[in-house]
Amino acid sequence: MMAATGIRVEGVSKRYTHRVKGEVYAAREVSLEVRTGEFVTLLGPSGCGKTTTLRMIAGFERPDEGRILLGDQDVTGVPANRRNIGFVFQNYALFPHLSIFENVAYGLRVRNEPDTEIRRQVGAVLDLVGLAGYERQFPAQLSGGEQQRVALARAIVIRPRVLLFDEPLSNLDARLRVQMRHEIRDLQQRLAITTVYVTHDQEEAMAVSDRIAVMSEGTIVQEGSAEDLYHRPASEFVARFIGRVNLVAGRVVGFLGEALQVEALGARVRVREAPLGARPGDTLRLVLRPEAIGLSAGSGSVSATVLARTFLGEKIEYLVRCGNETLHVTRHNTGGGAIFAEGQAVALRFPDGDVAVLGPGSEA
Amino acid sequence: MLWALLALFVLYPLGAMFARIFRDDTGFGIAGALATLADANQVRAFWNSLLLGTLVGVLGTVAGFVFAFSAARTKLPRWMATAIDAAVLLPLVSPPFTAAIAMIFSFGPRGLITYELLGIKGFTVYGLGSTLFSEALTYFPIAYLTLRPILAAIDSNIEGMALSLGASRWRVFRTVTLPLCIPGIANAFLLLFAASLADFATPLILAGNSFPVLPTQAYLQITGLFDLRGGAVLSFALLVPALAVFALQRYWVSRRSYVTVTGKGAGQAPFDSAAPSVRALLLAACAALTLAIVYLYALLLYASVVVALGANHALTAQHYKVIFTEGLKAIRDTLIIAGCAMPLGGLYGILLGYLVAKRNFPGRGAMELVSMVNYALPGTIVGIAYLIAFNDPPVELTGTALIIVACYVFRYGPTGIRATVALLQQIDRSLEEASQGLGASSSTTFRRVTLPLILPAFFAGLGVVFIRSMTAISATIFLVSIGWTLITVKILDNMTELSLGPAAAFSVLVVAIVFAVMAAISWMLSLLRAPGAAPVPSLLGG
Repeated sequence: MMAATGIRVEGVSKRYTHRVKGEVYAAREVSLEVRTGEFVTLLGPSGCGKTTTLRMIAGFERPDEGRILLGDQDVTGVPANRRNIGFVFQNYALFPHLSIFENVAYGLRVRNEPDTEIRRQVGAVLDLVGLAGYERQFPAQLSGGEQQRVALARAIVIRPRVLLFDEPLSNLDARLRVQMRHEIRDLQQRLAITTVYVTHDQEEAMAVSDRIAVMSEGTIVQEGSAEDLYHRPASEFVARFIGRVNLVAGRVVGFLGEALQVEALGARVRVREAPLGARPGDTLRLVLRPEAIGLSAGSGSVSATVLARTFLGEKIEYLVRCGNETLHVTRHNTGGGAIFAEGQAVALRFPDGDVAVLGPGSEA
Repeated sequence: MLWALLALFVLYPLGAMFARIFRDDTGFGIAGALATLADANQVRAFWNSLLLGTLVGVLGTVAGFVFAFSAARTKLPRWMATAIDAAVLLPLVSPPFTAAIAMIFSFGPRGLITYELLGIKGFTVYGLGSTLFSEALTYFPIAYLTLRPILAAIDSNIEGMALSLGASRWRVFRTVTLPLCIPGIANAFLLLFAASLADFATPLILAGNSFPVLPTQAYLQITGLFDLRGGAVLSFALLVPALAVFALQRYWVSRRSYVTVTGKGAGQAPFDSAAPSVRALLLAACAALTLAIVYLYALLLYASVVVALGANHALTAQHYKVIFTEGLKAIRDTLIIAGCAMPLGGLYGILLGYLVAKRNFPGRGAMELVSMVNYALPGTIVGIAYLIAFNDPPVELTGTALIIVACYVFRYGPTGIRATVALLQQIDRSLEEASQGLGASSSTTFRRVTLPLILPAFFAGLGVVFIRSMTAISATIFLVSIGWTLITVKILDNMTELSLGPAAAFSVLVVAIVFAVMAAISWMLSLLRAPGAAPVPSLLGG
């Protein structure tokens, strides 16, 4: 339906002058490729350059260095109104003086489409986002979620080459946020439209994206699928930003075939994807996700004490003391499973063979 | 182009006035100017002006605060809030000396209260007391309009918090509410001080010989003694405190506001900040003042339909007949001038406001400052400056309608500039980007998005320019001529000739016309306003 294209961001930088710090980079040599029809999320804390990068793709900011291509066309110098992109703003940016119909029709009117065509397309797209019948309302009369849908309809009705979202769900309450992210993903899949999405919410990013690019301090620090980033973070920053994590110091004690054997907290675990050049005696940090640590009553090879317990319904979170480390451990509430008391002695079981590690040089 | 206009109608007249002040037969010097100022009578007038301004500032701010506090922070019944708003509106839309005229009707030599009711003969209404009361009554709405949004914007939770920490209501008011309002109160005081300083008609009618003030002295110097230079010097003396107030307001008060006034209401019901007894007291005070205003205006209306107030109370349409025959020219001239100034002033406001807020060009700050000059200066100064500048070639405008129109446009257009800038600052950048992203060029974006959104500022500008064109006098009294005259000037003439009936009839007519036009503009605004959109800022705010 849409003439979607891929996006190539090539070594793009944007500088600005800070009152105190002088010249700083909002984005620094950012390179990113988004394939046609792919959904890529730029994820990172505030100030990491994700919105700047998105605005440069849209044409609202001009990069100081680098190129931006839509398909084969270099659009670096093309103004935003000639790029044919759809943009959904954080605050929706609906025109307060225009009705819902006219808001959605805006881009079509600018393109001088005939009236009958405009009516047909606006009707169809409002139908698509579930807002048929709202044509004569005004933005201020709609709820946040409805405004969000109008913004979405307005962006897709012009059949943009790419669709860009700037933290579109951050003004909605938690329940609606979850619902809308499914709707956005569903719509993107149905329209097969190339999409770049900016958020600081890692769960939202994992829910909607094919691929996530984690940004920090103006650069992309790691790209990959949600699973990749979660299970094989390349740095402490990514490990901590996506999900909860225990980083436990360990020492390389030897090789077991391809795998590396690491000792930590008195236990030995195998690491398959070891950093290159690791040798016995090196210190590494194991990336242990809370749900990957086994917990049982009594004592075992790794014994620990329960410090605190938080009951969260579907799961139970424990804080346990093990040697000098305090670890997060999560258990699913299976109903029949054991629930441990605070102060109880427990045995920990580390996963064997599927543990990621961070080398000494991955502090970022 | 705009610069040329600003130079011609703002900078040039001021320059011409300065030149006139500092040049005497022997060359440039300040000796001549100083000699005029050293005159004991003028020194007295200077201090009188400051005294009057200070008192009006204090009294008006107190009254404005009482009204604003009652309206914003006690849970008033709806009809009472409406009554307060209406009472406040009346002085705002009438000529500044209407209250003064009604005072004469009430307390004058044949006044309704002093003569008829109390039977006092030889009571003199003229002097500081009545001038003060009349000016405070006329200008307290400014304080009300300044303070009400600030009081309304204070989060009730802050007061609730203080209350829950154990403070009494009075203590909460003293330690929380009042301190948060201090910048607003200072601002209101300065605005009132400036208004009183510039007011010329009220003292002319009420102050009498015993209490000379600068603007009236300047006027008498020019119209009585034909001493243009002396008048200029006197009004120049006015400039010093006026500029001080302007500077204070702009650079001191504006940086000390704790409460950001946004269009967004707090959502919850206002916390009842006053104990029931205090509330009753406040309401009584509001009611008394409201009644006083209503009484004065009712009196004006009554005076316009009886033969002679205080002497013969037979109903008559004679006064209206007079103003629509002898006074017809003034009415026609005023309407023509207001009708010309209105669109020009509105356009000027929106254009300059847009340039100042959205475009980056060298001299932008200077342009904004220059555009505010005529607005900030007392009308007497502007009037005298225009008179001096445009009396002779190269630009000879004296006696034309153009000089009056120009005066109104550049003096009252700045309200539109401020409204436009304020609106543009509220419009998020993303709105224009959204339009651009959808493929609209920047001119389309301006036409379809920006312009409709700042249209309310245009109408606000129209409204203010029209109202002021109908009611102002301090600047334009120097600019009227045989060819072009104004209703307000006519009213003043009637007052000095003691033909009070026609003066009252004229005043009623002005108030009626202004109300009609304001209603029309409000109606236009409501048509423009998208349902559910934020309300348009008050026509008279600022």
